[in-house]
Amino acid sequence: MDETNFYDFDVLAFSRQAFLFRRQNHPVKWPERSFVRCGLPFVRNVAGYLKPTTAFVQRFGHLARKNVLRMELNEVCELATKGELMPPGPVKDIEVPGYVIIKTASQILGVALILDEKRLLNRFPKAMTQALSRLSGQ
Amino acid sequence: MDPFLKTLSEYRDYIPDYERFLDHLRKPLPVYFRINTIKTTIEEAKALLSNEDVVFQETVIPELLKVMSHVHERPLLAYHLGYIYPQAMTSCLPVIALEPSEEHRVLDICAAPGGKATHIAQKMNDRGFIVANDRKRGRITSLLSNVKRLGITNTLVTQSRAEHLNLPCKFHRILVDAPCSGQGRYRIDPQTGKVKHVVKGKTNLPAIQKSILKRAFDMLEPEGILVYSTCTLNVEENEEVVQFLISRRRAKLVRISLPVPSSPGITEFKGRKYDRQIGLARRLYSHQIDSVGFFIAKIVRQ
Repeated sequence: MDETNFYDFDVLAFSRQAFLFRRQNHPVKWPERSFVRCGLPFVRNVAGYLKPTTAFVQRFGHLARKNVLRMELNEVCELATKGELMPPGPVKDIEVPGYVIIKTASQILGVALILDEKRLLNRFPKAMTQALSRLSGQ
Repeated sequence: MDPFLKTLSEYRDYIPDYERFLDHLRKPLPVYFRINTIKTTIEEAKALLSNEDVVFQETVIPELLKVMSHVHERPLLAYHLGYIYPQAMTSCLPVIALEPSEEHRVLDICAAPGGKATHIAQKMNDRGFIVANDRKRGRITSLLSNVKRLGITNTLVTQSRAEHLNLPCKFHRILVDAPCSGQGRYRIDPQTGKVKHVVKGKTNLPAIQKSILKRAFDMLEPEGILVYSTCTLNVEENEEVVQFLISRRRAKLVRISLPVPSSPGITEFKGRKYDRQIGLARRLYSHQIDSVGFFIAKIVRQ
């Protein structure tokens, strides 16, 4: 993603997670521990990898230029149901291994983990996995 | 007679077409979906909902759809994508009355589970600054979850008792959607004739509401706007709370422009008289709008 898209935001980094917060015209200093959360969870440190959150890629994933995997909705449903698939089609412009944005014709759904050219693992939130599994059962 | 119905009958003289109002309470509460235009467009969300076999109707609020088919049994993909927020139609109205804009600092002092706070963010195009506060840990969890699901970046969440909230800035807009007895949600069970959705408890709600409203008003910038709302018909929790504020602070009620039929605030009840400007507040009755009953007052700091 081009960083110019994020000039209007601050990144607030904590030990294992970073948040994207809309930059304020007149910032106010907030004492530490005076708030529960600030902004949108952005990335998390998972076993040494930076994993973008589902909420972040659903909102900003359309700005991504690489690490995007296009899939049909029925393939996404199959990934959700089985938990693992062979990536459909060539994995061009995708860093392997790593997290990849899953995109259908009209929606950005979330992220999956691509281990190698043969293994794509479901990393959708549990409730969304259930919704996709039910869609595949229709 | 059910004691809760007896309570409602105290408003017989104020509720237009009271018999139709009672009839309407025998119908289930309708479901509405607010489309989250931070993440999608109204057209895209409609297309996805249609794909998921949801039958809906448009409403007078462009971003709000009335759901005609039953969808409770299964989670919708549109929900998990953050495209929709299930919300009563009347819950949208305090936000419309608040008129937040991109330059504002806004406080939603009783924010959980986040329906109105996220709607405010949507009205501000996810710009400006929102503080969403609530008291209870469990309710904060649902607030955080909704702010995240809807992809909102301009909101800071705090956990504090609203009446003791102490923040390092003042606000241009404040929403006080106060905890209430929830009479606006009452429905009559057609089989038993008893009232459903009754909130039971011994809490002195008017005292809490007055305390929250006064605290919130003190955090308002000069010329700032505060909207006080509840989903109850109870005068003690509505007009009397607003009367309490205007008798203690330089507060003025202003006219509210709403896209649905509404009735004026009550200025005389059981021998008690309230300030004439309380007539500018709006009461929304479920039979007139096919949603939860509501009270909304818009107050300016002078």
